[in-house]
Amino acid sequence: MELVECRNLCKNFENNQILKNINLTIPRGKIIGLLGKNGTGKTTLIKLINDLLTPTSGEVLINGKKPGIVSKKVIAYLPERTYLDKNMTVKQAINYFEEFYDNFDKQKAIELLKDLNLETDKKIAKMSKGMQEKLQLILVMSRQAQLYILDEPLGGVDPATRDYILDTILSNFSEGASVMISTHLIADIERILDEVIFIDQGEIVLTSSADELRNKEKASIDEIFRRNFKC
Amino acid sequence: MLRKLLKYDLKWIYKELIVFYLLALTFSAIGRSLGLIQNSIVFSIASGVTIGIAVGMLLGSLVNCMLRLWSRFLKSLYKDEAYLTHTLPVEKKTVYTSKVITAIITLFTTVIVILACLAICFYSQANMQMLKESLEIVETTYNIDMIAVLFLMAIIILTELVFIVLLGYVGIIIGHRANKHKILYSVITGYVGYMITQIASLLVVFLFGILNPQVMNLISTTQMLDVDIIKYMLLGATGLYIVYNIIFYIIGKKQLEKGVNVE
Repeated sequence: MELVECRNLCKNFENNQILKNINLTIPRGKIIGLLGKNGTGKTTLIKLINDLLTPTSGEVLINGKKPGIVSKKVIAYLPERTYLDKNMTVKQAINYFEEFYDNFDKQKAIELLKDLNLETDKKIAKMSKGMQEKLQLILVMSRQAQLYILDEPLGGVDPATRDYILDTILSNFSEGASVMISTHLIADIERILDEVIFIDQGEIVLTSSADELRNKEKASIDEIFRRNFKC
Repeated sequence: MLRKLLKYDLKWIYKELIVFYLLALTFSAIGRSLGLIQNSIVFSIASGVTIGIAVGMLLGSLVNCMLRLWSRFLKSLYKDEAYLTHTLPVEKKTVYTSKVITAIITLFTTVIVILACLAICFYSQANMQMLKESLEIVETTYNIDMIAVLFLMAIIILTELVFIVLLGYVGIIIGHRANKHKILYSVITGYVGYMITQIASLLVVFLFGILNPQVMNLISTTQMLDVDIIKYMLLGATGLYIVYNIIFYIIGKKQLEKGVNVE
């Protein structure tokens, strides 16, 4: 059984068809890049998998079942915006995750926060946006999930922070789990990708193993992307 | 999971509401203390002003409670925090139930604080005696247990307040199905829901009026109602609001279970 399966998935907003008949499977134990330009439907697809949007038609199945309590237990999702209650302290946010997610490793989160020299009594509202994003990443990566979905984790951050984020992802995801990273900054992540999914204008235009694609096209994923999606 | 959600919802609402409660209680106590000082126009005026502020705080706590309930609902189900709420391993109906229970608890405590402040401001043996005598006059004239009537009226007020909050919740859920002008649609939906229930209430009274001419007098004449009819009307109103609350709870739950579209 596939970890995630999208069958004839469509999503419309008014008369705009954002996703067009998506058929996609996400295998286990892989790092997958969901690659596409801005506004091509990456976030919409991710939100549908996470039950944040309702499909216009078609369906999403996670471990063979529609999104619900069971799927939410196995998916750790990092959205592109800050979603924590800003009145909470770091410690309260950790306790919140511990209370709701059985697979949350509190000790791991505390250790990762120590590396950032982040005081646990600090209010989230008083932290910089970058620090809030790092806190969210740590909370998400401290879960023992089957699938980590990271929406634009590298967007708007400096190169040093990008390295920190990629290191945190690579050294903390559970064994056998899959990681789906949505981004348009391909050069930064292509070294870690096992699989790539190209999405354009709401359609999946290519799914392939990263190595096979590089060998076939004799170019990096970044170059292939630039070539195919030239404006 | 419901207990956990409830803990966070209540914490969020009470965080500010408790300040209004404390201010209202403090101003009530100060106003009352100043009023105890005899033969001083200055203290008498100060007492009046302070009690006025306390009454303002009471109204503020009620309005603040309802606005915060709607704000919490909107933020945690449709704004940034929704990205966390909807990805928690919790059923949508549990999230909704937590919000409804939070509304009942916080509105109940607000009503209690309002009564407590009024008691602090105005309790005196003379006032209590006056109230008792007034109630006794009504009791003997109408042969009615006033304590039961007051209790019923308190329940009607509480159920109506909960009903208004629930209308807001349902309005937000349905309004947020739209792609644009979500808040406008939410307000319109809530208002339409309110109008429908008020018309339904009139219809219920009319239907009872067909069976009982005394009730029909309420619609067709301006004459005073018989006391037995008043009792039934109060009971009927309580029952009706409880039914409305149940209906809107179910509508909200079913609508939310259909799925959301988070911005």
